[in-house]
Amino acid sequence: MELLISPTEIEAILPAGILFLTGLVLLLVDLGGKERADSGMNPKNHLVFIGCAGSVLALMALVTGGGSVVTSLYAGAMSDDAFGRFAGALVTLALLLTTLGAGGYLSSIGQNRGEFYSLLFFGAGAMVLLCQATNLVSIFVAIETLSLSVFVLAGYTTDRRPSSEGAFKYFVLGAFSSGFLLLGMAFLYGVSGGSLALSDIAANGPQVADDILFAVGVLLMVIGFAFKVGAVPFHSWIPDVYQGAPVIAVGWMAVAVKVASFAALLRLLVAAGGGETLSRLIAAIAVVTMLLGNLAALNQTNIKRMLAYSGIAHTGYLLIPLVLGLTGTGFESGSSMLFYLAAYSVTTFAAFAVIATLSRGQDRESIDDLNGLASKHPMIAVVMTLAMLSLAGIPLTAGFVGKLMIFRDAVEGGYIYLALIGIISSVISVYYYLRPVVAMYFREATGDQHEVEHPWGLHLALALAGGAILLLGIDPQALVEFSVESMRSLLGG
Amino acid sequence: MASHILSLIVLTPAIGALLLAFVDRKNVSVIRQGALMISCVTLALGILMAGSFEGSTLGYQMVETHSWIPGLGIGYHLGIDGISILLVLLTCFTMPMVFLSTWKAVGTRVKEFNICLLLMQTGMLGAFVALDIILFYLYYEAMLIPMYLIIGIWGGKRRIYAALKFFIYTMVGSLLMFLAILYLWQHTGTFDLPLMLERLRTSTPLDPQAQFWLFGAFTLSFAIKVPLFPLHTWLPDAHVEAPTAGSVVLAGVLLKIGTYGLIRFAVPLFPLAALEFQPLLCWLSLIGIIFGALMALVQDDIKKLIAYSSVSHLGFVVLAIFVFDASAITGGVLQMVNHGLSTGMLFLLIGVIYERRHTRELSDYGGIARVVPVYATFFIIATLSSIGLPGLNGFVGEFLILAGTFKVDPLYGTVAATGVILGALYMLKLVRLFLFGPIIHDENRVIPDLDAREWTYLLPFVLLMIWIGLYPKPFIEMVQPSIEHYLQLFAY
Repeated sequence: MELLISPTEIEAILPAGILFLTGLVLLLVDLGGKERADSGMNPKNHLVFIGCAGSVLALMALVTGGGSVVTSLYAGAMSDDAFGRFAGALVTLALLLTTLGAGGYLSSIGQNRGEFYSLLFFGAGAMVLLCQATNLVSIFVAIETLSLSVFVLAGYTTDRRPSSEGAFKYFVLGAFSSGFLLLGMAFLYGVSGGSLALSDIAANGPQVADDILFAVGVLLMVIGFAFKVGAVPFHSWIPDVYQGAPVIAVGWMAVAVKVASFAALLRLLVAAGGGETLSRLIAAIAVVTMLLGNLAALNQTNIKRMLAYSGIAHTGYLLIPLVLGLTGTGFESGSSMLFYLAAYSVTTFAAFAVIATLSRGQDRESIDDLNGLASKHPMIAVVMTLAMLSLAGIPLTAGFVGKLMIFRDAVEGGYIYLALIGIISSVISVYYYLRPVVAMYFREATGDQHEVEHPWGLHLALALAGGAILLLGIDPQALVEFSVESMRSLLGG
Repeated sequence: MASHILSLIVLTPAIGALLLAFVDRKNVSVIRQGALMISCVTLALGILMAGSFEGSTLGYQMVETHSWIPGLGIGYHLGIDGISILLVLLTCFTMPMVFLSTWKAVGTRVKEFNICLLLMQTGMLGAFVALDIILFYLYYEAMLIPMYLIIGIWGGKRRIYAALKFFIYTMVGSLLMFLAILYLWQHTGTFDLPLMLERLRTSTPLDPQAQFWLFGAFTLSFAIKVPLFPLHTWLPDAHVEAPTAGSVVLAGVLLKIGTYGLIRFAVPLFPLAALEFQPLLCWLSLIGIIFGALMALVQDDIKKLIAYSSVSHLGFVVLAIFVFDASAITGGVLQMVNHGLSTGMLFLLIGVIYERRHTRELSDYGGIARVVPVYATFFIIATLSSIGLPGLNGFVGEFLILAGTFKVDPLYGTVAATGVILGALYMLKLVRLFLFGPIIHDENRVIPDLDAREWTYLLPFVLLMIWIGLYPKPFIEMVQPSIEHYLQLFAY
């Protein structure tokens, strides 16, 4: 094998490379130790600027490059297609928003250190790679890299016990799920004639489809991913981790990990298939996840926990396209998953960023802390309302179009019961998504909790996310088309 | 002909709301006058539109079609016919009166209040003219949020409970309808209503089983909105807690979207199921008529009394829809407008007295006709219109409904007529306890009578009531051709 790197290979890895490099630069820039003592309270705009520049560059590399589908780059470790670029762009957008918000938020809790940003960027680089990975080893390496960065972010506020507890739980369960993933990969490797590449697995799939080892291998990998995306019954870490971690990191985890994991899972299942049995199993998981997530969210008074359960519920909706894809009607429905991921990303980020604006010293995370926000900060309340309505799937928001696409596919594929359960659980969810709205608009503020000087970065990030929710709700045509094309590039290539 | 008048009517309030967002919140009078002006412009556009409406034409007029989200097959399709035109006009007419009535009543967060009301108006108008079923659904849902905020922010003591109940009830119904819409799309391949109807009639008819379930989903959603007995329980709560303007909009226009939805969507899309459900729905509306009237008879809170009277009155409209008789349905459409006028005015009048005395308990009043004679006159006119006295608007609709119902089934007609008698009973009881008799409470001796602003927004209601009552011909002529066209669906 020639060890030459072709221009297409460089083009493919450029976005992830930019992200990793930016991470390194951020780490080095913050090395100067002389202001260590008060560095926690400094907004450190220069780090935010470097981070934004890095993520914008990576985004440009993602959007402008590619075009045609190129497979088997780096000896089959990754491919360059519109699908990977779409998912990668979502991750990078979330990164941009998170970086914008991080400066002000971290200084408000007195923990503004360069490590946070570089961890974000290392994780983001790994996620972009995961979206493009086409062989078992590169998938695994990318997952491990992103997990390590996220574990540390979850425990970032070392002086808070819940944070460390959450991070520890996350680490143990994450390691456990990696075990599943690895074992599944081993099975697949054995059955598919000793190849790690997804394309070989796809080619061999039809011959070994009846082999029990093949089925078990795919199932184990699905379980591994189910941990990452928080599908029931592998969801138990989510509420604790979300509650403990600093809220801006939670927003990042909730969005980016889910996008990258779902992209990789979709790519894996498109290649491996899995047939009727797996489809039925995922359907069952989807049903339980939707219902349990929404029911458990009903009684939460901590808004981070509530959003954690709501995130679980949304994982349930996102599993529906996989069910449809596996039944043999084809994975065209994957496009609705891509759109839904985009809608979910901006919406969830917006919700967590609003919580971030409330923090002072530590996170204010009870729903009561939102009381009376609408009269003090009407624009922030509007963004939060938009986010809640979008999560609930009310028209004119991004979430509605996403649900419309997923349920439409479900009805079209003959899975009316999945759509019905999805809709019933959406009804349930309306109740708790309205609670923050009730608090913000219908109740009076009780203390001084909203007397906060808001950092510019967080405001800009909120404005962008709120605008995106509305834009995707009112004029989603461009993104709908784009997600359909991306999905086609994955299926055709 | 490419006309944009409908888009203009629908979007004017929303654009106005956007403009108001940039006005300083302390500048209360500018906000109030601005909102009033916007709604007057919408009314003027509505009258202009009605002027170019041709009653004899069948089918939709002033149609607008653009592609909107072609990737999902969703289009922007507006149009109007005899069924919707009166409701559009009613909405356009009610809103300026509502804005005028809030000048004193709403003192907190005036800016947000006016913006909410304007957005409501766009939602309601859009729902009446949308011909793409997803577009309709968007407007249908979109008006939920401003109403929720109006009840929740400016409402009474139990406002949060009432607002949540209102929202959740409506959402349950509309999400099931959403699923049914998706199924229809899968079956016919379009979201466009006329095209969908065409395909259901010719190329891809639905089997009775599917019609049954889909009709159930649509009807459940609209029956909650109407509200049809036994799904009415959110209404008294919402009315009692809502501020006056909220009640007027709710009773005056919002409830009609339920009955309109039945005529426009549920029945024509699934005619077989509609026939199958006919006895059930007729009996439910009859029970609603009697039950609402009996409940109204025992209420002490005036607003709650009117709320239950709405349950009773809208029972007539649903009955009219499901007896499938041309004159009954024409009466039903008129009754929607009449109920909007009479109940809207009654709620405004209750608001007027509430501003002065801060109570709505019947036992706190009595004998005030001597103190506020002009007010009492207006109140009695509204009451008589609600009862259906000949010469006022209520009579025309009720008479047509009863005549049509008797033709179809005398039993239905007899029960419904009993409801009319009960209606007279509770309304006259209200008038007697509220306006006449001795003055028990001394506070009631010094209530000021109507001022010029109140005259301005109450008088148009009275004029319209008399106009429709004495000369309903132009209104009936607008409606009737469309109804006859609509009934050809059932040429079985």
